[in-house]
Amino acid sequence: MFYPLAGVRHQSYLSDSKLFPVPTDRNLLIVLTIAGIGAPFLLSSLYLNSYLQPWLIWTALALGLNLATGWAGQLHLGYAATMAVGAYAAVHAARFGIPWEFALLIGGLAASLIGSLFAFAALRVKGLYLAIVTLAMQFIMDWVLNHSPVISGGSHASLQSPRFALLGQEIASGRGLYYVALGWCALVTVFMMNLQRTALGRALVAVREKDYAAAILGVNSFYYKLIAFSTSSFIGGIGGALLVATFFFLAAPEQFGVNVSIQVLAMIIVGGLGSIIGTYFGVALILLMPGIANEILANAAALFRLPLGNETLAHIPTAVYGALIVIFLLVEPLGLGKLYANIRDYFLVWPFDQFKK
Amino acid sequence: MPAYPGTTLDELRHFVGEVKLVAALAEDQEQVDKFLELREAGSAIEYIVYEDKRGLNTYDAPGLLSWEELHDKGETNLKADPQLRERIVNRVTPDDPAIFLHSSGTTGKPKGIVLSHRNVIAAVRNAYSGGAFNYGEEVLAYLPMAWVGDFALTVAAAIAFRFTVNVPERQETVLRDMREIAPSLYLAAPRSWDNLLTSIQVGIENSTPLKKWLYHFFTDRAIAWERRKLDGQTGSHLEWLGRLLGERIIFGPVKDLYGLSRLKSAFTGGEAIGEDTFVFYRALGIKLRQLYGQTENAAFNAIQAADEVKLHTVGRALPGVQVKVTGTGEILLKAESVFRGYFNNPMATEEALKDGWLHTGDAGYLEDDGHLVVLGRVSEVVHTKRGERYVPNYIENRLKFSPYIKDAAVFGAGRDELTAIVCIDLEAAGHWAETNAVPYVSYADLSQRAEMAGLLRDAFHRVNKALPESLKLHRFVSLHKEFDPDDGEITRTRKLRRAVVEERYASVIAALYDGSKEIHVKAAVTYESGEVGLVERTLVIREV
Repeated sequence: MFYPLAGVRHQSYLSDSKLFPVPTDRNLLIVLTIAGIGAPFLLSSLYLNSYLQPWLIWTALALGLNLATGWAGQLHLGYAATMAVGAYAAVHAARFGIPWEFALLIGGLAASLIGSLFAFAALRVKGLYLAIVTLAMQFIMDWVLNHSPVISGGSHASLQSPRFALLGQEIASGRGLYYVALGWCALVTVFMMNLQRTALGRALVAVREKDYAAAILGVNSFYYKLIAFSTSSFIGGIGGALLVATFFFLAAPEQFGVNVSIQVLAMIIVGGLGSIIGTYFGVALILLMPGIANEILANAAALFRLPLGNETLAHIPTAVYGALIVIFLLVEPLGLGKLYANIRDYFLVWPFDQFKK
Repeated sequence: MPAYPGTTLDELRHFVGEVKLVAALAEDQEQVDKFLELREAGSAIEYIVYEDKRGLNTYDAPGLLSWEELHDKGETNLKADPQLRERIVNRVTPDDPAIFLHSSGTTGKPKGIVLSHRNVIAAVRNAYSGGAFNYGEEVLAYLPMAWVGDFALTVAAAIAFRFTVNVPERQETVLRDMREIAPSLYLAAPRSWDNLLTSIQVGIENSTPLKKWLYHFFTDRAIAWERRKLDGQTGSHLEWLGRLLGERIIFGPVKDLYGLSRLKSAFTGGEAIGEDTFVFYRALGIKLRQLYGQTENAAFNAIQAADEVKLHTVGRALPGVQVKVTGTGEILLKAESVFRGYFNNPMATEEALKDGWLHTGDAGYLEDDGHLVVLGRVSEVVHTKRGERYVPNYIENRLKFSPYIKDAAVFGAGRDELTAIVCIDLEAAGHWAETNAVPYVSYADLSQRAEMAGLLRDAFHRVNKALPESLKLHRFVSLHKEFDPDDGEITRTRKLRRAVVEERYASVIAALYDGSKEIHVKAAVTYESGEVGLVERTLVIREV
């Protein structure tokens, strides 16, 4: 009902492969973009900087992992390690006096380099073995951070991030930092959306579906896996650097532990492998749901005067959060992105039935 | 001289015999073969140009050209002689032929009709000033080329009024292409509108309960309103609101799915349209209008105005078209768009054209407000034994308004009472059988089932209600096969060839009147390959 398609036609293959074949999708995105830009004027700084901003930063990060895992099909358990490389490289560069624009770039390139180096070794194996090798990357990075005072300042130390600035303009306000996160997230989203319609994107998908079948098609699977890893690491590196520069304000080894790797992986699995909108939903669920569930429960307990102890109050949201993930994946194993696609399909053929038409 | 793709060799032979053909344009191997056979039979077709070269690689007949080759040749000639273009353009005068068409041949062999440039341009000018269309319409060129409606709209009007003409990719993709193109002007035979309606209804039946309920909630109300509008009443504010909501929730999406959402002018022509179908589209918000015309005057005589619709009329005559009705009830027309006469057929011409008035052969009358009512063919007006006057076609069309009846033939000339042969519509009836758990194995099987007879009986009761006592239908037979143009029972435009049907089914008609309960028939069936097969079947005769 919301997706009028009459009169939408293409006279060339080029126009057939444009970004938004369905005008409604484009309009929806325009509305969301306006909402994103207008958010600082509508929301309190609590919501803006404790909910929206981390959501955007983590979404950009998760999109990076989705590139390697969702598009190219390579299971990656060491994503936090590439974030760490990016974060420490950028913070050190910034402390050295390099402007943040270049510091971020250095962070991304360093992460990309280390990620590619690992990939060279790791991509000699496939599937679960690859997962274990990337897990090794994670542990090696943990060890390096904990045992190299030059990089991290020592095992329990943290590294202060210099004031964030772009184009010589210092950015310290909540609004400013939010816009930085929004800009970066939008950039990664646009990149991923366009990736899907390029030869590179199709090659990645071919490799995901069956790497030797892709090889038969003339797609060098090792080369494309490597590209996937280095690009994903680049996005992860800059994302990690931004996380430190605009949200944590200091870098510490425990911010990039194996639990973070698993969490980002959970985000894209719950959201949907290979789905951009799903990544947004997945990050929202994993990142924001515990806090929101906590708040709802606390309010409910206060409202209905439920005799719940502090201990119970703290544990119930965690249980609810776990249950939600299980329920969502039971309902739609392909993730929240697929759930959204189902709803969209429902309205695409409204008032007819999507399975018969 | 366009021909239908399903044209048989015999029909082509008749066309080719009329004039000396120089070149033939064929779509694919199948059509090229027909021309090669014609050539073997002695007609001098010099060039055969084809569009789809599949299967034609090994052909080496002289004069066989692909479309590209023809195009290249023309380009070379134009380059070699710069004045050629001008000479060709100047060679044509307004009274030169624009197209050679054939009458549909409801009675006898098709007659050749040559329309001049003046005729077709006058016709589309009249239609334009009558409000049929505007400059720059978007149209879908899907109509059969040999039908005058296609030429008048997608060639003549398109050139004169700068239309964007969209050609569907293939016959099978018309529905999908229709959505992509979303035409602003659409002309279709009542049958096509019926098919579309059936398709929508079947789609809704297969939908979920919520959507079904919403659909019926809004559609039923809108239809009821339209019906009252036809009776001259108006709707309340509440209904107006329902209409507005319905447009957002149901009508808009349905129109969008079928590519009807940008439709400004929608026409039905060729035959009468069923009230149910007509009202449904009006309810959907499509200003469906009836159009009256024939090949002899390039398709445009009269149209209904968008907001002033009466179901039984075809609207007012277009500006530039004079209409009068003779004492015998025949409609006469005079316009610049009327042709000069049948090709090489002075006798028929004399009958059709007297003092510049075209004798349409249609029976009808003019209402006081200028609306023209068309009843049927004058030649078809027949009398029962008791002298009751009726037009079988009129009753048949009303029978066909039932979605389950695809074709019908009514008999009763010179007899006491009226009877009919009907052919069920396999798509609609088959779907009905599926949803009501009626098992069947084939068309023939389904047509004889008692459950089906019940449905047909309902349709007959409805038609009988509108007929005077002496013209009520008493018995019918549901035929074991559809009427088929390949068997000559109907024309390519699906008009009944009464003489053929009466001859072929003489035994069935006899049985309808001699009180038998069933009749055993043997029918010849012409397959697409040209072979003739024999089908035997016992048909049940049912009382209405």
